[in-house]
Amino acid sequence: MPEGLALFAQALVGFLTPAQLFNVLWATLLGISVGMLPGLTATLGIALMTTLTFKMAAGDAILILICMYVGAIYGGSRSAILLNIPGTPANAATTLDGHPLARSGRAGRAMGLATSGSVLGSVVGILMLATIAPVLADFALAFGAFEFFWLAVFGIVIAGHLTALRDPLKGWIAGFLGLLVAMIGQEGIHAYQRFSFGYLDLAGGVGLLPALIGAFGFAEVLMVMTDPSYQVVRGKVESVIPKLRELFRYWRSIIRSGLIGTLMGLIPGVGEDMGAWASYAAARRASKERDRFGKGSTEGLLAAEAGNNAAVPGAIIPVLTLAVPGSAPAAVLLAAMFIHGVRPGPLIMIEFPSFVYEVVAMVLLATLAILVLGLLLTKPLLLVLRVPRERLMPVIFVLCTIGAFAIASRTFDIWVMLLFGVLGYALRRMDYPMAPLVLGIVLGDILDKSLRRGLVLSDGDPTPFFTRPISLVLWLVTFITVLLSFGAIRRLMTRLLAGKRE
Amino acid sequence: MTPARMAKADFVTAVILIAVGAGALVESWRMPRLEHLSVNPYTVPGIVPGLLSGVLILLGAVLLARAVRQGGWRLDAASLSSAVGGRLVLMLLLTLGYAAGLVGRLPFWAATFLFVFLFVLLFEWRAGRPPAGHLKSAAIALVLAVAVAAGVSALFQHVFLVRLP
Repeated sequence: MPEGLALFAQALVGFLTPAQLFNVLWATLLGISVGMLPGLTATLGIALMTTLTFKMAAGDAILILICMYVGAIYGGSRSAILLNIPGTPANAATTLDGHPLARSGRAGRAMGLATSGSVLGSVVGILMLATIAPVLADFALAFGAFEFFWLAVFGIVIAGHLTALRDPLKGWIAGFLGLLVAMIGQEGIHAYQRFSFGYLDLAGGVGLLPALIGAFGFAEVLMVMTDPSYQVVRGKVESVIPKLRELFRYWRSIIRSGLIGTLMGLIPGVGEDMGAWASYAAARRASKERDRFGKGSTEGLLAAEAGNNAAVPGAIIPVLTLAVPGSAPAAVLLAAMFIHGVRPGPLIMIEFPSFVYEVVAMVLLATLAILVLGLLLTKPLLLVLRVPRERLMPVIFVLCTIGAFAIASRTFDIWVMLLFGVLGYALRRMDYPMAPLVLGIVLGDILDKSLRRGLVLSDGDPTPFFTRPISLVLWLVTFITVLLSFGAIRRLMTRLLAGKRE
Repeated sequence: MTPARMAKADFVTAVILIAVGAGALVESWRMPRLEHLSVNPYTVPGIVPGLLSGVLILLGAVLLARAVRQGGWRLDAASLSSAVGGRLVLMLLLTLGYAAGLVGRLPFWAATFLFVFLFVLLFEWRAGRPPAGHLKSAAIALVLAVAVAAGVSALFQHVFLVRLP
């Protein structure tokens, strides 16, 4: 631990140069603006920013991407409060209490609370990132082919379940579709070109970034432009400086939300949206003012915003230690790390021990930036929400097109972006979640290689996949999740448990 | 989306998923087994895509069964055509026309200028609006189109050193 502290201090001091601080400020400000605009998500922001920073030094580029990530997840609270439209999906729970506060003329206070909730939740997440990541990396050294195979299946099933709670079947379809898409192109053991049908471009596989820019950029542009109820902000707001007394009063709720948010971030592919919802639900259950929830509760707003921002460092934990993303934006961050030559995974504490603490310092700087910018630049930031969609969306689409192209200078990547955009739009209209699809594309290669390597190691015997301790836990949880999603089995279990209690 | 329309959409999606899954399964089966290289049979390229195709067919079948139970198989021409609105058609024409048609054929700045100008002009057009309003929209469209075409081209070409399409 003292060694970790020293590495963290060293990393932090390293970032305290005028140039890096300037990068922190503009990237976080851009992130907040992207997050505020309905239709522009953290995933798209990071994906586009990756295409703009891929010629920079690794440390600078990843610092900018993390600032964009933290800023966007926080920025979405502004439109949630002022327009009742979550700026990013992670801020959906914020609308429940944030917008009623704004409607009763307390928009400024709501924005101040959202800022403090986000900052405090993020601080809890950062502490967890600094303590859990090294331990998890150490633990992950015990992962072999069998464990990685189940981790991939576990990630898809759990992410599919939690991101589509009303209809998990659609979450799983999205996830397995992503895995199948990942099979396109040259495979990693015999270099055979799968599903390429003789086309050289397909042999290279479907790039994650063009697919993401399509599914989160073009699809969102289509969603926003076809939405009949898009609004822009009118009117003014009062002071946003929060009262410390109010924050102290709900310290339990804030810490609880920070912990739940981080945990939700840690689970592959689940991320910020569930971080906010789960924290909000837990806060309501534990609250003495339960009836205020949904009508402008301070505690509810703090819980939702602490939960989603804590999920950011939470989602970075598996990125660093297992090379498995905790959420869709974290998937882009993972891809960006690979582009910049950092190899996250179980060996990170051996190969790049200081990198984990550099990331901790980066998230901390981004968090301090949202505190400063969020409280000081309220009025100028509102200008962003006054731009009509007819003028903003064509600019975003031009950036999606050139962004998809810029990574490898391939026209094929523009087609991938377009295909995933149209597909993503159709799937979203039919309530399919996007996060499992992205996770599938990322985890496809791991699943493919791990299953085949595992079978070679066991000479075709599937037993070790089910009996090794970590594998056993992973497949059991996966299996139970699938079983419990069947209505009949869930009802039977509830009846059995109720019978026992009587 | 109403439950009845969702059931119809699910029905169509399920049929497509099963067809894609079946196609991928056949293709996986046809992938080489590499016997002549005497590779370990558990590492042949078709194993994982084959398994994934099987899972996709299974999930598609569950969705199909559910959609049929909810009456989703009763498709009619009206339900199919109402899925695509006028704004969506215009959006697809503009975006696909730009990214898959103009980009690569015209210089990037010219394609971008045309796209942004037409986009703003068409989406801000309202029937029955006084001519002055249309003129203002056209002026804004022109300024924005010039700024985006010049700004994005210069940024990518000279700052990020990307060869434009």
